[in-house]
Amino acid sequence: MTAFYGWIGELAQRGILPSDFQYPFLIRGFLCVLILAPMLGGLSHLVVTRRMAFFSAALGQAALTGVAIGLLLGEPLNAPYGGMFGFCLLATLTMVFVKRHATLPPDTLIGVFHALTLGLGLCLLVAVTRQFNVHQVESVLFGSLLTVTDADLALLVGVGIVVFALLVRQYNRLLLDSLNPPLASIAGGNSAFLEYFFAVLLTISIIVSLKIIGALLVEALIVVPAAAARNVARGTRNYLLWSVAVAFLAGVGGLVISTKLLVPTGGAVVLAVSAIFFVTMAISRLVGRRRAVA
Amino acid sequence: MTEGSADWLLEIQRLAIHRNREALVDDASLRIGRGSLHVIVGPNGAGKSTLLAAVLGLTPFDGHIVLNWRHSGAIGYVPQTFPVDPTLPVTVEDFLALSRQRRPVCLGLSALSQRTVARLLARVGLSGLERRPLAVLSGGELRRVLLAHALDPEPELLILDEPTSGLDETAAMWLEETLTTIKHAGHTTILMVSHDLDQVRRIADRVTVLDRRVVAEGAVADVLAEATIRDLIPAGRSRWRRA
Repeated sequence: MTAFYGWIGELAQRGILPSDFQYPFLIRGFLCVLILAPMLGGLSHLVVTRRMAFFSAALGQAALTGVAIGLLLGEPLNAPYGGMFGFCLLATLTMVFVKRHATLPPDTLIGVFHALTLGLGLCLLVAVTRQFNVHQVESVLFGSLLTVTDADLALLVGVGIVVFALLVRQYNRLLLDSLNPPLASIAGGNSAFLEYFFAVLLTISIIVSLKIIGALLVEALIVVPAAAARNVARGTRNYLLWSVAVAFLAGVGGLVISTKLLVPTGGAVVLAVSAIFFVTMAISRLVGRRRAVA
Repeated sequence: MTEGSADWLLEIQRLAIHRNREALVDDASLRIGRGSLHVIVGPNGAGKSTLLAAVLGLTPFDGHIVLNWRHSGAIGYVPQTFPVDPTLPVTVEDFLALSRQRRPVCLGLSALSQRTVARLLARVGLSGLERRPLAVLSGGELRRVLLAHALDPEPELLILDEPTSGLDETAAMWLEETLTTIKHAGHTTILMVSHDLDQVRRIADRVTVLDRRVVAEGAVADVLAEATIRDLIPAGRSRWRRA
């Protein structure tokens, strides 16, 4: 990778690429965005269609708890993946199981888990801060380009490929199940399997995105791209393309803002994606009015 | 659910469905003749949709459901409701392609899918609506799209849950004519739930009156003429109402 970073840096020095690309951490961040955008943008439009926005928020909080558990178990500060994967997958499977077997509305149940994981996470973080400086944990909470390593990038690439391959196989069934579960079942889909399957895909995608976006803000890139896309898209293909484009623009915009203003990457990405959402909303209103006039 | 060799397409034996310890369907038995149009009627809460869900394998039950397939063994289903989020950008062709191609519809429709979708829409009189979002369809158009979905592959058993509820008279008549045409083609047995007794008289071959258990079953004229049924149906009303 060093040779690759050197080559990109050379292109930046010659003026072929923006001068910021002289820095390996920024190249790494850009590569992460290149993978995150199609992955989270692709998942985003299914998350919104399946009404799992709140579920994603709860997962972000679970990741916070996972980080604390990982650190308490002695994992390295910059890669507490064991704690995150372990606790988030456990929380995901439990949430889906309870949602499928309880009679309470799903948002109520997820609200319970949301509060539980956040409370547990905060308690554990207090224990963590006895061993670490709280600022060292901030990178996981809010995202930071400086802490992203080549190993994180490799994990992101690996998970991105797996998520893409699995999603392609089940996409149509997932979408039909989102529209009408009985029709999906009759067409051969297993509603329970699809629900667990998608929740697990979402969980592992969120975990590998945390170093860039942060545990508290990852929900934004899971929900807002699709919300923005809905303002302007017609047709499923357009919906996906817009979701990915919005996620990419927000990722790049967030990187630029984060680098120039020295603010956490996650916060900058959220600001960028929110701005795009309001722009698409305005476009949608404008186009709607023109159509109405016509 | 098991397969049998009786001269019926579908036989339901002592079906019981419970939810929260309450019996939604209790000891219901009926047979659906091959090639017939069989209607289930009954008051709200009689267990009609629940019975259909059991036949579709969507809900657990006690008892036996025997299917005697001879052709495709395919079941088509038109649900009673199909709520669509008004901002959902899924088009008619996307929806119809979802269970007809392996490639994710978000990556585009194959040429075969496009032809199939065009053929299905032509069959239900909606040619040209391929690119229209599901969310902007009228109730009648949406019902036709759902019927188009249910008709491919050619179902041996077509199940419809109150297919004309909420439709205007023209749309309801179109659906009745279409169902009659499908029945006369001879490959498909139709099982539907209806609240409209006039409609039952017009199109049904046989009718089952369900009120958690089977109250009556037989030819339409006989069943609807029975005194017990007349007691349950207020005179002069074509819509079912619990007495």
